[in-house]
Amino acid sequence: MTETCHQTLEIELKRLIIDALELEDITLADIDPHAPLFGEGLGLDSIDALELGLALQKQYGIKLDSEADETRRHFASLAALQALVEARRVN
Amino acid sequence: MTFISLTQLPWRNLSFRHECLPNHWVCSASLALHIDEWHLWLADKPAGRWLLCQQQPLAFCAALIALWESGRVAVLPADDRPGTLSRLASEVDGTLPDAPGPRLAKSAETRPRVVPLDPSATAVVLSTSGSTGNPVQLAKRFDQLDAELSAHAQLWPLTDSGVISQVSHQHIYGLLTGILHPLCTSTPFCGGESRYPETLVTRLQEASAAGLHPVVVSSPAQLSRLPEHLAWHAATPPARVFSSGAPLSQAHAQLAERLLQAPVIEIYGSTETGGIAQRRQTSHSAWQPLPGVALAFQDGGLSLRSPFLEMPQQWWHQPDLVAPVDDGFMLLGRADRLVKIGGRRVSLDHVECLLTALEEVSEARCVDLDRTDGRLGAVVVLEHAFIPHQRDARQCLIQRLRAHLFDHLEPVAVPRYWRFVETVPSNTQGKLDRTLINRLFADLDDPKEPRWLGEHLLDANSCLLTLEVPERLAFLEGHFDEYPIVPGVVMVQWAIHYAHDIFGHRGLFLGIERLKFTRALLPGTRFTLQLTRREDGIAFSIDSQEGRHCAGQVRLQAPKGGQHG
Repeated sequence: MTETCHQTLEIELKRLIIDALELEDITLADIDPHAPLFGEGLGLDSIDALELGLALQKQYGIKLDSEADETRRHFASLAALQALVEARRVN
Repeated sequence: MTFISLTQLPWRNLSFRHECLPNHWVCSASLALHIDEWHLWLADKPAGRWLLCQQQPLAFCAALIALWESGRVAVLPADDRPGTLSRLASEVDGTLPDAPGPRLAKSAETRPRVVPLDPSATAVVLSTSGSTGNPVQLAKRFDQLDAELSAHAQLWPLTDSGVISQVSHQHIYGLLTGILHPLCTSTPFCGGESRYPETLVTRLQEASAAGLHPVVVSSPAQLSRLPEHLAWHAATPPARVFSSGAPLSQAHAQLAERLLQAPVIEIYGSTETGGIAQRRQTSHSAWQPLPGVALAFQDGGLSLRSPFLEMPQQWWHQPDLVAPVDDGFMLLGRADRLVKIGGRRVSLDHVECLLTALEEVSEARCVDLDRTDGRLGAVVVLEHAFIPHQRDARQCLIQRLRAHLFDHLEPVAVPRYWRFVETVPSNTQGKLDRTLINRLFADLDDPKEPRWLGEHLLDANSCLLTLEVPERLAFLEGHFDEYPIVPGVVMVQWAIHYAHDIFGHRGLFLGIERLKFTRALLPGTRFTLQLTRREDGIAFSIDSQEGRHCAGQVRLQAPKGGQHG
């Protein structure tokens, strides 16, 4: 994947997080690709995890695996999420 | 299936070994070993009440049973927030660690002589939000738990079942349905990561492969977010799916029944009362009382007598609004300021108290926005000096408030939407009513609106509004990618829009005069919009702490019969 595509996807994913979870105060620049999304970072919670799973499926056709520790690893940060989308998107 | 009550120590009498289940399922062999490890650990510890906070069902069960068999009481915190745990830690005799540590001696020597438990002894102490907003603790005796478990066994026998729980066992519903009922009937069970739909599918398949009929213990948070694409059909359909903790919408009940191919049984109750009633709303919308529960309806309220209550002979008033119908009752909502978010009971008063404990907060109103995601809004009154004027300041403040609340509340209970004001907007009765709440949060659903934070008339012909530029304002998009600003035309549109609102001008736009843009208006900026009615339209100015951003006059065609034209 080229650098430009990589950056485009990063922005797209930030938008997806902000829109799917209705984070009113967060702008694209606020999401550090390597900071944790859950807990102390962006402060997302268990309901957000479920919403994010649905949004990824809707937008990219990604079906999360059953092994929960793996699912959570993908949600650890924006960068991890991006790696998941790049590897597994079907559209 | 044989049901053995808790006081008869079902875990010591039954064997529910299932060789073909993976080891995240709790079965008797693994359990007995872990119970003994806890006995060993507890042997030289004080008696009394012990704080138990453990997410994994096996570790939780083993510790719980060891406490019970050694005559101790388990205190279960409602959540694992540091503030919650430290508050409770000072009220108990000890806190159990995550694991009992390595085995040092033979367990047989330390296991107490196991005798039946005293039905009138306290088994667990649960936490919930009281109607006053303060957390309250509720003790449950073994006879209360056993009465309710026996009702479950009668209504929903676990015959050749495997129970998969998606909810926390630190609360009464998850404890009874996901842990104790399986324990009393030698039914294998699992929890933990099963709360994720992907994991649930795998657990369903594991139960099927072991020849078991799965039973799912769930809640509206999960059932309303079941992904369509998962391989729900690959497993034996569950015998039933339970939902409790909050109302489940009819659409979500239908969705869950269609995907899981199983009846969805809702249980209505509370920590104080245990289960009160149940229904399967796809076939019948009225709630039916559980066996042994007597109901009385008065003035839209609900009272009950139940063997699951602390005092079974006394009438208990449940703070919910109900409407009796022929064969049961309908639920109409809470009569107090408690809301349910993600199945957790949250007291709006409690959130407000936590916020006002902060130095800069003089008053706080926590509001249920009736959004599908259940997220709360907060209207926070700050001293003038603490009002954030720019995005960074606002965001820092929100971070600080959220961090404070995270210490005391579960993440889902922390308000997501914040409005900072110098006085609470009020209607003519002096109340922050639903109309005003809707105005304060209108920009969430309408990306063209500024964030409205209040307005007041300066005199008969002029008005001052306090507004903010939402970060998600639609007009920011594409207007300088690196440096988003509010386009000038949008500022003029806002002026006209609010003039219509406040002065009732409905005239046609005729033109703009004396228009000056002096400063860019950035996302997150708090600003005032001053509107003055003129003979031929309105004059407006937009100012922030930085100074003037824009001013001008808009000529509007006067309404019919007006002086102009």
